Amino acid sequence: MNRGVAVELDSFRLANYATQVPCLICDQGNTLDAEVCRNCYAPMVLAHQAQSRHAPPLMFAALGPSGVGKTVYLGMLLDMLSRQPKELQLSARGGFSVTLQQTTLAALSRCEFPSKTPSEPDRWNWVHCQLRSPRQKQPVELVMPDIAGEALFEEIDHPRSYQVIHSLLGRCHGVMILIDGTKLQSGSLDEDYFGMKLLSHLSELGDDPKTSWGTRPVALIFSKADQCEMCFEDPTAYAQRHAPGLWRVCQQRFRKHKFFAAGVAGACATRNVRGGGRQSLPLRIEPRGIVEPFEWLAQTLVR
Amino acid sequence: MQTPNMLAWICATAAPLAMVHSGGLKKLPGWLSGVFSATWLRRLRHKKPPSLDELFSEPPADVVGPSGRIDHGGDAQSLVEEMLTHSRYALLLRPQLIGNLTNDQLVRARTALSEGMCLVPGGDVLVRRTTGSGDADAEPHGHEDVSVRVDGYFLDRYPVTNAQYYQFVRHGGYEQMAIWDPEVWPAVLDFVDQTGHAGPRFWRRGRYQRGEDRHPVVGVSWYEASAYARWAGKRLPTDAEWVKSGSWPVALPGHPLLQRRYPWGEAVDRSRANLWGSGPGRTVAVEEFPSGVSVGGVQQLIGNVWEWTADRLVLDDEANDHSAPPRQKLKSLRGGAFDTYLDNQATCHFQSGDDMLARKHNIGFRLAISLCDLPLPDASDDLSSEETREPSLEETHA
Repeated sequence: MNRGVAVELDSFRLANYATQVPCLICDQGNTLDAEVCRNCYAPMVLAHQAQSRHAPPLMFAALGPSGVGKTVYLGMLLDMLSRQPKELQLSARGGFSVTLQQTTLAALSRCEFPSKTPSEPDRWNWVHCQLRSPRQKQPVELVMPDIAGEALFEEIDHPRSYQVIHSLLGRCHGVMILIDGTKLQSGSLDEDYFGMKLLSHLSELGDDPKTSWGTRPVALIFSKADQCEMCFEDPTAYAQRHAPGLWRVCQQRFRKHKFFAAGVAGACATRNVRGGGRQSLPLRIEPRGIVEPFEWLAQTLVR
Repeated sequence: MQTPNMLAWICATAAPLAMVHSGGLKKLPGWLSGVFSATWLRRLRHKKPPSLDELFSEPPADVVGPSGRIDHGGDAQSLVEEMLTHSRYALLLRPQLIGNLTNDQLVRARTALSEGMCLVPGGDVLVRRTTGSGDADAEPHGHEDVSVRVDGYFLDRYPVTNAQYYQFVRHGGYEQMAIWDPEVWPAVLDFVDQTGHAGPRFWRRGRYQRGEDRHPVVGVSWYEASAYARWAGKRLPTDAEWVKSGSWPVALPGHPLLQRRYPWGEAVDRSRANLWGSGPGRTVAVEEFPSGVSVGGVQQLIGNVWEWTADRLVLDDEANDHSAPPRQKLKSLRGGAFDTYLDNQATCHFQSGDDMLARKHNIGFRLAISLCDLPLPDASDDLSSEETREPSLEETHA
């Protein structure tokens, strides 16, 4: 706002403004005060925060179809590792990184699941935090977005329709793929196909065999396992039995993969919603198997 | 008049004798055939087909004759002793049986009652119920407090332990179909442990793990808890009774009821209960965390294991439509468990629920008995502020 006074010409600021700031996700240049990347819509605050560190941050992603429980899983994971005394600890870098765990836990404590993540990348929750473990002297920077399932499968079906996902999957160091354990148990083939689609997409990304997805760690997590407890007993056997296609792709194309089972709600119920439809409610919160997949990924990568 | 519990007990224990006298399964009523067919099927499962002689020589027939006296193969006293050993004192103290006890046995039964259970006086209690919003855009899981009046009752000081439940399993609790709700008979054969023996889900070979005799029994469905309750001569507490024991309401004239959020007061204190992050991440013995005791002396109401209650969990959309049949067979759970993560879910007021057939690693139970079911003139006169009433058939069975 011009207040009618002469503003001193700040050459340093002008110089900064002229320099393009590369987006952390897609590397495209943006102006200093850009809020989101003009190319991929990832928040530019990630790039600004990463600039203060010498090493580029680790990137993990939670992938899976819509409604599989990615938001609940990530929110719960962040809360458990940031508020509870565990060997692995996460500390948020910036207030925006706390939003995901805050909204998730607020919904769960009202006995609701958090609302669906919108497809627009600028409305996703991005998390930038520091990972501390007893094995590491220095904390490791970590970036994890909560990607919308619909956007992910749009990108898989129509590559480059979501530039942010394309770039992110190219850069990610490891992924957690969530598969709905209850749907598999009920005999639905959709989850198996979703998983196969996703893994096939990943295996086609990147040309260099040394850095391709065949060598990166992939944690496959059966979500909602509290409602199909067989998952917990032996997740690999469960995969072999209920998701044979997914299991075969993993064996053939991914050297570092492991199956896990996780559940957040101890029990769920459904109820009618005014205006039609049914809504699932968590009756209580008893996280099981949440930290293990992340711990495995972190141990595989942070040595 | 004999109570349904009493009838169940008589039916269960009299079955083998009745069969001998009637001369075979053909003449038995349906429920009695059920007792034997269950025994048969269970044994077939374990590849030990019984002979008829074997079947007839089931544990001795303990029956109550028309006079109300116990006939136990001529040794009523040994039966009483056995029942005292198995924590079935509540059954012995029933008006129909109390006459069989010697003075010494009466004293011991009453001592067992006062050591094992706490007296909770009758009165009003606010129970949190879901409201009927049913609108996804509105606050969907809203609550309202409903004032409920309860009569005086005794509540178990501790949750039922593995050792106590073992007595039930060992003495054929899973084979006495008369103590099970008829609708669950087909499922009883499936209530087996890890090795296919009758018993809680996480036991092996019909036994709990070594060193866990004082841990609360888990891996039992609502029906198993209910059957054990009948065997022990007690019942599952209602939601209101459970809440009253923990929140210990105080009614001051001209004020709303004062109720505690936790048995120890208003503030969260995880050091007083086995919850997420405050315990070893599994069940602990029922005597641990003694500082979490309620005003009335009930231990571990919060944490360690969720506890089944007799009531149904009614979701808000169902609460609006009283005429519709229940959509989901959910029973109410109270108290939180060793893996309860959120503070607001480990309070006296929070209500969760699960399927009646669910056999989870963190769900156990404790039992209650109404003051009016026990002839304790001193206690009932002084402490039951309400007019005592006979429990309905449904309540007693629950």
